[in-house]
Amino acid sequence: MDIANFAEASATLGHYLIVSGLLFGIGLMAVLLRRNIIILFMGVEMMLNAANLSLVAFSRFHPVGGGPAVDSQVFLFFIITVAAAEVAIGLAIIVALYRAKQTMHVEDLDSLRF
Amino acid sequence: MNPILLEAVLVCYAFLLLLVEAFNSRMPRRYFGWAAVVGTTVVFFMTFFVDSSKMNPEAGYYGFYAADTLAILFKRFILLVSVCVLIMAIEFAPVLVRYLPVEKPDAGSGEMYSLVLFACAGMMWMASAQNFVMIFVSVELVTITFYVMVAMMRGNRASLEAGIKFLILGAIATSLNVYGIAWIFGTLGTTELPEIGAILQSIDSSLFPSLLFGFGLIFAGISFKVAAFPFQFWVPDVYQGAPTPVTAFLSVGSKASAFVVLMRVLESMLSNSELSSKILFMLSLVAGVTILMGNLSAIPQTNFKRLLAYSSIAHAGYLLMGAASIVSGNSGPAIAYYLMAYLISNMLAFGVLLVVGKSTGSDELVHFNGLGKKSPWLATALTLAVLSLAGLPFTVGFFGKFFIFSSALQAQQFILVGIGILGIGCGFYYYLKVIRAMFWLPASKEQSISSPIEISKPYAVMLILLSISLIIFGVYPEPIFNLIP
Repeated sequence: MDIANFAEASATLGHYLIVSGLLFGIGLMAVLLRRNIIILFMGVEMMLNAANLSLVAFSRFHPVGGGPAVDSQVFLFFIITVAAAEVAIGLAIIVALYRAKQTMHVEDLDSLRF
Repeated sequence: MNPILLEAVLVCYAFLLLLVEAFNSRMPRRYFGWAAVVGTTVVFFMTFFVDSSKMNPEAGYYGFYAADTLAILFKRFILLVSVCVLIMAIEFAPVLVRYLPVEKPDAGSGEMYSLVLFACAGMMWMASAQNFVMIFVSVELVTITFYVMVAMMRGNRASLEAGIKFLILGAIATSLNVYGIAWIFGTLGTTELPEIGAILQSIDSSLFPSLLFGFGLIFAGISFKVAAFPFQFWVPDVYQGAPTPVTAFLSVGSKASAFVVLMRVLESMLSNSELSSKILFMLSLVAGVTILMGNLSAIPQTNFKRLLAYSSIAHAGYLLMGAASIVSGNSGPAIAYYLMAYLISNMLAFGVLLVVGKSTGSDELVHFNGLGKKSPWLATALTLAVLSLAGLPFTVGFFGKFFIFSSALQAQQFILVGIGILGIGCGFYYYLKVIRAMFWLPASKEQSISSPIEISKPYAVMLILLSISLIIFGVYPEPIFNLIP
C-alpha cells in the first residue's frame, strides 16, 4: 500500500480541515478575548499555522501527476518565513513598548484617542 | 530593459544604503535621504525604458509577475509617492531624532530612508503580482516594513502604541488572507490569477460556498490594507501615532498598491458572472458603509492628522465604489485617476501638516488658527489640498470623483451614488473647518505660531510642484488620462 492510500484510509481531508478550522478559531478567540499582547501574538501565529495545516492537507489530497501538489508546500515555506520575520519585528516592538511603559496589557494602550 | 530590473535595482540600492549607513557613523544622516531620493528618481526614469516585448502577459515569469501597462503605471505612481515621502522624511528627521533614545544626536534616523525604499519595492511588486503567493509575499514585505516605520519614534509613546496596534491588527489581516488563499487553492488547485479566471468560467455551483469563504477572507485581508469598513478601526490611531511622512506613505502608497491587487483579483473573477455578482454586491455594501463611516466620524475631529485618517477611510469608500462597479468597464481608469488625484492632494495636505506640526509640536486643529496671516503660502497650499480632497471643481479631486461617480452610474449603482453624494456633503463641512481655522479664527498667543514657518528650499519646491499640478490637472485632465490604459 503506498503512502497516499494509507493517508486516505486513516484520515480524510475533512478531518484535517476541521482541525485546521479549530486552530484558526482558537487563535482568533485568543486575539479577541485575551488582554496580554504576547498572548495576542501567539494567537495570530496559531491562525497562520492553521492555514499551513490546511495547505498541507490540500496538497496531499489534491495530487498532481501522482505526487502531492508542490505549489502549496512551497507557499507554506513562504508563510513560515514571513511569520518568522513578523515575530522578529513584533517582539522587538513589544520589548520597546515594555521599556517605555512597563506594561504588557492592551488596556494600557490608551494615549491615542480623541 | 527587463522590467524585473526595476525592483531588483531598488532593493540592491536600499541594501547598499543600509550597509553604508551602518558602517559610516560620521556622514550626516540626511545625505542618505538625498541618496535615496536620487536612487528612486533614477528608477522612475528607468520605467520609461522598459522593453515593450517583455510587457505582454505571455512574457511569463512563471506566472508570478506581470509588467503590463497597468503595472508600469502604478510603479511610476509608487515611485513618485516614495520621492515625496523621502523629501518629507528628510524634513521630519529633526523631530524623529528627538524621540530616539540614542547617545549621538544624529544616530538612528538613517534607517528610515532605506525602509522607505524597501516598502516602495514591495508596493511595486504588488502592482505586478499575478499569483496569490506573490501577492502574499509582497504585501507582507510592505506590511512588515511599515511595522518598523510606524513604531520608529521609540521614545514617543503614541508612536509605539500605534506600532503595536498596527502589528496585532495587521497580523490578523495577514492570517485571514493566508487562510483564504489556502481555501482557494484547496478548491481550485492553483494560486495563479489568470488560471483561476479560466477555471472559474466553467465551475460547478456546488463549490461556491468554499470559494466565497476563501475570497471573502482574501477581501478581508485587502480591506485592511485599503482601510475599508470591517477593518478600518486601526486607521485613526495608527495615522495619528505614526511619524507624519510614514502616515502619508501609508495613506497613499499602501492604499494604491492594495487597490491594484484588488482590481486584479476582481478581474480574474469576472469570468463567472454568478460568483462575481455575489462578490460585487458584498463590495458595494462595504463601499457604502465605508463612505458613511469615514465621513461621519471625521466631522467631530479636532486633530488634523486624525481628521485626515478618517478622510482617508472615506476616500477608500469612494475607490471601493469604483471597484464595485467594475462591470461598467471604465472603472479601472476611474480608480487610477482617483488615486493620482489623491496622491497630489493628500501629499500636499500632509506636507503642510508636517511643517506646521514640526514648528508647533502638535497636529491639533487649533494650531492652524491664524496660519493664513503668519504663512500665507502654506495656508494657500493647504487650502488647495483640502478643496481638492473635498472635490471642488477646478481641482484635480473633482475629476477623480466625477469619473468614479459616472462609472458607478453606468453600473447602475444608484443607492451607492446617493450615499456617495451624502458623503461629499459631509466632506465639505469638515474640510472647510480647516480653512476656517486658518483664515477666520484668530490665533491665541500660547497656541499659535509667532513667526512665519521656515521650510527648506527642496521642500518648498515639492509643495509648489504639487500645488501647480493640482490646479493644472484640475482644469486639464487629459495628460493623466492619456497615461492610463
